[in-house]
Amino acid sequence: MTLPLLRLENVDKVFVKKTMMGKKSYIHAVRGITLDIQRGEALGIVGESGCGKSTLASLIIRLETLTRGKIILDGTDVTSLKEKDLRPLRRFVQIVFQDPYSSLSPRMTVEEILTEPLKIMTKLSKAEMHAKVTALLELVGMNASCLDRYPHEFSGGQRQRISIARALTTEPEILILDEPTSALDVSVQAQVLNLLNDLRQKLHLTYIFISHNLAVVKYISDRTAVMYAGQIVELGPSEKIMLEPLHPYTRELIAALPAVGKKLKPLTKAADMTENVAQERGCPYQNRCPLVDLRCKSERPPLAQFEPGHFLACWGVTKS
Amino acid sequence: MTFTERALKILKYNRLTAIGAGIVLLVILVGVFAPVIAPYDPNVIDVPHRLGAPALKHLFGTDEMGRDIFTRVLYGCRISVSVGIAIVCVSAFFGILFGSISGYAGGKVDNVIMSISDMVLSFPSMVLALALTASLGLGLFNTMLAVSIVKIPVYVRLVRGQVLSLKQRQYVKAARTFGAPPFWIIWKHIIPNSLTPIMVQMTLGLGDAILMAASMSFIGLGAQPPTPEWGAMVNSARAYAIDQWWYAAFPGLSILVTVVGFNLLGDGIRDILDPKSKQG
Amino acid sequence: MTSTDSKTTGAAAAAPILQIKDLNVTLRKEQELIPILHHVNLTVHAGEIVGLVGESGSGKSMTASAVTQLLPGGSKSLQGSINFCGEELTTKSEKEMAHYRGKEIAMIFQEPMTCLNPVFTVGQQLEDVICTHQHLQGGEAHARAIAMLENVHIKEPEKMLKAYPYELSGGMRQRAMIAIALSCSPKLLIADEPTTALDVTIQAQILGLVKEAADKAGAGVIFISHDLGVIAQVCDSIAVMYSGEIVEAGTAVEVLTTPRHPYTKALLAAIPGFTPKGAERLELCAIPGMVPDPREHMDGCRFAPRCSVCGENCTAKHPPLHVAGDGRSVCCWKEAEAGDTAITAS
Repeated sequence: MTLPLLRLENVDKVFVKKTMMGKKSYIHAVRGITLDIQRGEALGIVGESGCGKSTLASLIIRLETLTRGKIILDGTDVTSLKEKDLRPLRRFVQIVFQDPYSSLSPRMTVEEILTEPLKIMTKLSKAEMHAKVTALLELVGMNASCLDRYPHEFSGGQRQRISIARALTTEPEILILDEPTSALDVSVQAQVLNLLNDLRQKLHLTYIFISHNLAVVKYISDRTAVMYAGQIVELGPSEKIMLEPLHPYTRELIAALPAVGKKLKPLTKAADMTENVAQERGCPYQNRCPLVDLRCKSERPPLAQFEPGHFLACWGVTKS
Repeated sequence: MTFTERALKILKYNRLTAIGAGIVLLVILVGVFAPVIAPYDPNVIDVPHRLGAPALKHLFGTDEMGRDIFTRVLYGCRISVSVGIAIVCVSAFFGILFGSISGYAGGKVDNVIMSISDMVLSFPSMVLALALTASLGLGLFNTMLAVSIVKIPVYVRLVRGQVLSLKQRQYVKAARTFGAPPFWIIWKHIIPNSLTPIMVQMTLGLGDAILMAASMSFIGLGAQPPTPEWGAMVNSARAYAIDQWWYAAFPGLSILVTVVGFNLLGDGIRDILDPKSKQG
Repeated sequence: MTSTDSKTTGAAAAAPILQIKDLNVTLRKEQELIPILHHVNLTVHAGEIVGLVGESGSGKSMTASAVTQLLPGGSKSLQGSINFCGEELTTKSEKEMAHYRGKEIAMIFQEPMTCLNPVFTVGQQLEDVICTHQHLQGGEAHARAIAMLENVHIKEPEKMLKAYPYELSGGMRQRAMIAIALSCSPKLLIADEPTTALDVTIQAQILGLVKEAADKAGAGVIFISHDLGVIAQVCDSIAVMYSGEIVEAGTAVEVLTTPRHPYTKALLAAIPGFTPKGAERLELCAIPGMVPDPREHMDGCRFAPRCSVCGENCTAKHPPLHVAGDGRSVCCWKEAEAGDTAITAS
């Protein structure tokens, strides 16, 4: 097999929070994630808020430092690189954030926003930058007349296009998309998703697409990883995950997807205020799992191959 | 709505801001053109006409040396406004510098800077400025220095707060993913986006700075006679306060009007720069 | 199916809770007239959930604001009628409206944090509402508050009452918000994008609660969302809004299975996952462009510039409202040209 473009090895992130009394509390946001991302692939990461998917993105792009584990980018171990040595590598991985309103500086024109990364990373002349930025804007479906306008003059979808253009200025290989369409209307979401698919083909990009909506993830990605409480609980081809989900949590996610012609299940369980708190011991999903048994409460299931290319972390699901 | 449109609208509907802007404009014009407008030389002694009551020839009367108080008030304008601006600029400059370092670096650096500025803030600023001037030595320059130092922590806190909240904005995070160095982030993102509160604080601070500098001169630590500084003039007028009311009244009134003017304008600027705040 | 249950539960179906007839709203902002709603007709029966769907800027929230008379500032002109249980709301004074809001007409919003006061516990806020509107005292109010929280399926209501809003997760906050909204047994519940900020799993639960409010408490619900997929799950009937007009209306089943307006069709095709199985990597049908500015005057259909089947008529003249059967209407030239019973709308 070829060398993966990006490899995560046992990545852990623990946030330490100091309370008022000086006590420390620990939040295990990302737990033992191992993942290979091949060149040109689109990997989807899905899970509910607080499952650690955005933290994982911050770790890959090094906005946060890892607590444990390794990140290997194209054969180079970047885990312990200092910010200064990391700088040349930064152009290979870029990110598009969720909120189209806070991701663009309100006091910069579109041209300033788009040339910023070029000013930091390259030594292009003004004219070269202008040409490049104009081409990029056209690539994301906007025209050069937008260059001297300010972000507040644009709609959410247009701002997200500008964000995408900014992420592409440095000609990255990997684009992390952190819920890029969650704040958009469905019709605009469709525009942005189509744009992302086009861009991937044209520029041969590798995507890490993060969302809480499995249907959206499936639309973009080849493989999907389902995260729960900082861990990957299921990983496999998107089609498989969507149509033949194995993990009870994946099934819950799919059941909850709104769709035309699907009836809402009546409420059965009363919601517990602590229902989403993952368990330290055993399977993190045990509180919500319909298949839970004794083993789930004592032992944490590892992510193991269930069938070729399809991985699962569950004691309850067995081959039949 | 553009900046100018909003500014014009606020000036139109908000009387107080308009009055403040008018006063500030007048004070600045008077300060700049003092030598042109003033009918006399501020320092020419004319003993025969000493302590004359306001009259056509001497609009604000004359002082104990026969100097024209109107002329001296006009020249005082020049001193007070430039002193105020200098103080505000110096304290804002260092405030922004330390505030952004403190907010951006965090950790120990933050602790040290914030402890010092809290310490400074915990003293009554006037007392601290007095003590500082006393140790630096008398004179207008040292007074300005002392007042500036005392006012730095106000900006440090303000800017640090801004940095802490802006640091979480996604555009700042995005800049970090391009490998933007801290200096770049502070200069390109944090300062431009915290300019609104800094500007408001500076305008409001101007009135305060003028008042403090005048107070110091009144006590005798700041500007020394015969400088036509308002505070110093009020100080010299103390002995004549009862019989020659005009001597103390006009410089005192000038201080009052100028300070009120800057404060009104400061409030107005906050409304103009912040589209979310209510408009007139 | 629950929708049929609620319809058959009585004669209530005959007298609607809310009937909006030919509502036109124009806002005046700095000497400029902005028409935001054009000829809006909407009927909500007891126990019925009516979905208002459309992109941002389509006027769906404005319709809700018109019902509660909470339209954004400035002077406005309101034409048409909003009939709430036999009372005409358009002529009510601010003071009279205050009686309806919160008690008879309750609202839940996208971000519950903006409606919950961060310095009071959920209990204080819930009991406060119960005390003001139902004139209950201490113990009774407390008991009622607990009952309300149990109603929204909260396992430990006592614990919830003592919690501050910031201590709760998004889903829990929305539950608390719904409990507060339902505490006065409102006749009409307006849910403005109540699940947009939530995870899909939590969304399903909140949708369940809204449905229960209609089925059990018999409240009429106006459910606002930009996502037809969400609307499809809870609503009995649907009104599709575009640029201040209702372009298509009908029962949920009809609108979803046989959409007639090109805008409705496009909205449906924009939902990922709606595309049939096996049609992998099929382009999602994105609607090009944006909702026009309400200030922009158009002679023809307001959707024409974005419409894939736009014809000559469409840009020249506003399409008539084509009424096809009971409660089903489409505002499109293609329907009018094909149809028989065309009624001119404007």
